[in-house]
Amino acid sequence: MSLPFRFARRLEVNNKRSTSYRISGAIAGLVASGLLLLLTSRNPIRLLGQSLDAIFGSQRGIEGVMVQSIPILMCAIGVALSLRMKIWNIGSDGQFLMGAFAAVGVGTKLDVPHWLLIILMALIASIAGAAWILIPALARAYWGVNEIITTLLLNFVALQLVLWSALGFWRDKKSQVTQSTEAVQAVLPRFPGLDSVSISFIVPIVLAVLFWFVFRSTRVGYEIDMIGGNANAAEFAGINVKRRIVTVMLLTGAIAGLGGMLQLTGAPGAQALSGGFSNRFGLSGFIVAALAGASFAGVLVAGLFISAMFYAGIALQTKGLSVYIIFGIYGVVLVGIAVGETMARFRLTRTDPTSAATTTGASA
Amino acid sequence: MGESINLAVEAKGISKSFGGVLALDNVNLELRKGEVHALLGENGAGKTTLSNILAGLYRADGGTVLVDGAEREFHSPSQAIEAGIGMVHQHFRLVPPMTVAENLHLGSPDTPAIVSQKKLVASARRMMDEIGLEVDPTARVWQLSVGEQQRVEILRVLARGAKVLILDEPTAVLTAQEAKDLFVVIRRLVAGGRTVVFISHKLNEVIEISDRITVLRGGKHVVTRDAAGATPRELARLMTGEELDNSVEHRTVDGSVVLDLIDVFARNHRGIEALHGVNLQVRSGEILGIAGVSGNGQTELSEVVTGLRRTQSGSISIAGTDVTGGTTRSIAELGVGHIPEDRIGVGMAGSASVKDNAILRHYRSSELSSGTRLKRGSVIDFAKRLVAAGRVQTRSINMPAGQMSGGNQQRLVAKRESMIADRLLVAAHPTRGLDVLATKEVQSAIVERRDNGCAVLMISDDLDEVMLMSDRIAVMYEGRVMGIFDRSQFDRERIGMLMGGQVEGAPS
Ligand SMILES: Nc1ncnc2c1ncn2[C@@H]1O[C@H](COP(=O)(O)OP(=O)(O)OP(=O)(O)O)[C@@H](O)[C@H]1O
Ligand SMILES: [Mg+2]
Repeated sequence: MSLPFRFARRLEVNNKRSTSYRISGAIAGLVASGLLLLLTSRNPIRLLGQSLDAIFGSQRGIEGVMVQSIPILMCAIGVALSLRMKIWNIGSDGQFLMGAFAAVGVGTKLDVPHWLLIILMALIASIAGAAWILIPALARAYWGVNEIITTLLLNFVALQLVLWSALGFWRDKKSQVTQSTEAVQAVLPRFPGLDSVSISFIVPIVLAVLFWFVFRSTRVGYEIDMIGGNANAAEFAGINVKRRIVTVMLLTGAIAGLGGMLQLTGAPGAQALSGGFSNRFGLSGFIVAALAGASFAGVLVAGLFISAMFYAGIALQTKGLSVYIIFGIYGVVLVGIAVGETMARFRLTRTDPTSAATTTGASA
Repeated sequence: MGESINLAVEAKGISKSFGGVLALDNVNLELRKGEVHALLGENGAGKTTLSNILAGLYRADGGTVLVDGAEREFHSPSQAIEAGIGMVHQHFRLVPPMTVAENLHLGSPDTPAIVSQKKLVASARRMMDEIGLEVDPTARVWQLSVGEQQRVEILRVLARGAKVLILDEPTAVLTAQEAKDLFVVIRRLVAGGRTVVFISHKLNEVIEISDRITVLRGGKHVVTRDAAGATPRELARLMTGEELDNSVEHRTVDGSVVLDLIDVFARNHRGIEALHGVNLQVRSGEILGIAGVSGNGQTELSEVVTGLRRTQSGSISIAGTDVTGGTTRSIAELGVGHIPEDRIGVGMAGSASVKDNAILRHYRSSELSSGTRLKRGSVIDFAKRLVAAGRVQTRSINMPAGQMSGGNQQRLVAKRESMIADRLLVAAHPTRGLDVLATKEVQSAIVERRDNGCAVLMISDDLDEVMLMSDRIAVMYEGRVMGIFDRSQFDRERIGMLMGGQVEGAPS
């Protein structure tokens, strides 16, 4: 049996088409979620209205989305950078935590002026994030060890270390809440005119623009893309592939680590380290980078979108919607985007009805 | 109607376009039972596309395919093979870590759901007996030579009942001996009533093996004729529409030594010694051809010279600079170009654009970059110039390079490498997979480099080509240079003996 339509693979994937398909995918996912909500006799239109109101109805909503987006964007930018080289860093959660861990160590123990402390914390957090990916990077570059597994496993180690510090050696003894470290006192100033967003919001934006430029018009960007295309060819052309892999992976880790420090010193109520410090920012960041197809402009858009979705989810939870339903909606929307992304590579064409009939006839 | 009984496949009015470019335009092809039918045409003429349509990989935009007189439309390769049409691609689709027996059963509907290695091997042996082709069924594919791997591919297609076997440039990757073995197999298959479609750019080979020849030019059918009585010259004219002059001028030159290898030892990628004390000199303004059966150290020689492979001992210098242990980059900067043997795996990134591949050797130059920045405008200009100068046929410089036809990929790499070769050009199988005209062009480009004082080290397992192009010939056997011939001493027989390791052939 043959269908009257079939999918044909497109020869070139055009960016504009791909973007519009992803956006349509997200919308389709939202519509599908709405239908599911209808089935459970909830009013999707009202919930949508509530979500939009939660986000755009007040300055607090918009600020909430921005606060939410900073750690996700930092992780996503790092992941996107390595994806350009076809390297899958699944460990940005761990690097993020290690950045925060190192920053807490410095921030709560050193007694220097706050501005200096902030700089020191940013430095040490970047170094710690990079250090956390050093072994996977060397293993990948020099012995070809798959980085997916090594980076993933180190996430668990980082989490254990954080828990141990929060419950053990750095535990805040003065506090009633005994499950976190002391809070850092040096915090980033607020964004002018905003209540809860710190100036750290600029960092991912600047980084994304910077990398967008690097890959558009610099030699290093070209070299990284060529390594992603065919590492043998890059080596043939005299690019030091191993060293490039190591540097890019370290940079990836450093960005995630810096993200941890920005969270610690910038996000409201996150000045102490505890087991729940990273709300799976690494995972969300990975999803963002993958959905954006490792394009840096795409990372900004997708990162803000997902943050808004998460923020709305939190608001809906306070309105009594179960957390499982909310996770379900996230899932459906993400699948919608992924399907849209895939559809952009294909084209629907009509099969010739007469010849289809002949085929059936002949094989009968 | 008597004629159509004899036809295994009849394709009528086949058209196919890729994103607006017509790759096939109303092409007819009749394949008789029991014949070897050659498809000839320049790079990009549409041979692979036509084969892919017959084998169910692509769908034609228009036209009909009749198999045994009944009209068929294929939605997938498995439907084509059910109808009796199977294809062996130029790039093998085997799973290297698996055994031959496993590969033969992979994806076949006849493979039972529960299998054991023993059953698979037994059933593989049965297939091989029926078909009359042997490969050790317990060997793992990566351990096999290229010729054996190809045989596994052929077996896999035939085991699924193919009556029509399409071979896309099967000899491009084979040694002369392996090609002879393949011809024996092909003759046996057609004697048993099967049909073989044979694609090749080597005209002598085509005339030798085929019964009929179909020539395509620019996606159009030019002629179908008997192979008997055809001459290479005539076929070349049919393919290109032009008369070709196939001769290279030679002079004795005594330029200065550019490439100097002294007692070089090196291992191959499996760690086995592949070069045993090679001594070789190439002078400015000469082409030194390396003759030899492939696998006798030629690949390693080219890699050692261009910095892709480390030496164990010995020294290499280029234009007086010691480059032993040098990086690919530092060697390229001396003015050394390298047309690598494996253009797809090493010479380019197929998923990257034609433009990005075009600048691979030049992006560091001051023409294309200032400081750390790439000049985007100059990059585009440069890529367009290279594409035009190398006569690379591509729809756009932004298209992924891997989507160009094989020959055009080779043209891109060959032109790019000639452009940086001021002092030395290392050319490994530079015309492999090229049609007659492109072969001529690449050969002229190499001669032009030589005439400008560049030293050329040319490796080819096609002795005809080595004899045509070289000013001197060095014969390699088991990692050693067995002898070096000046042009006046060229003697096919003696060279052939040395290639087989018989020292009586050595020049005095
Ligand atoms: N998948 C594809 N996407 C886009 N264009 C294609 C594709 N396959 C083939 N073409 C185009 O169709 C034309 C015919 O290509 P084809 O590969 O059939 O040539 P060919 O005769 O096999 O050449 P060669 O001798 O170089 O292998 C070329 O212009 C090629 O660029
Ligand atoms: Mg082809």
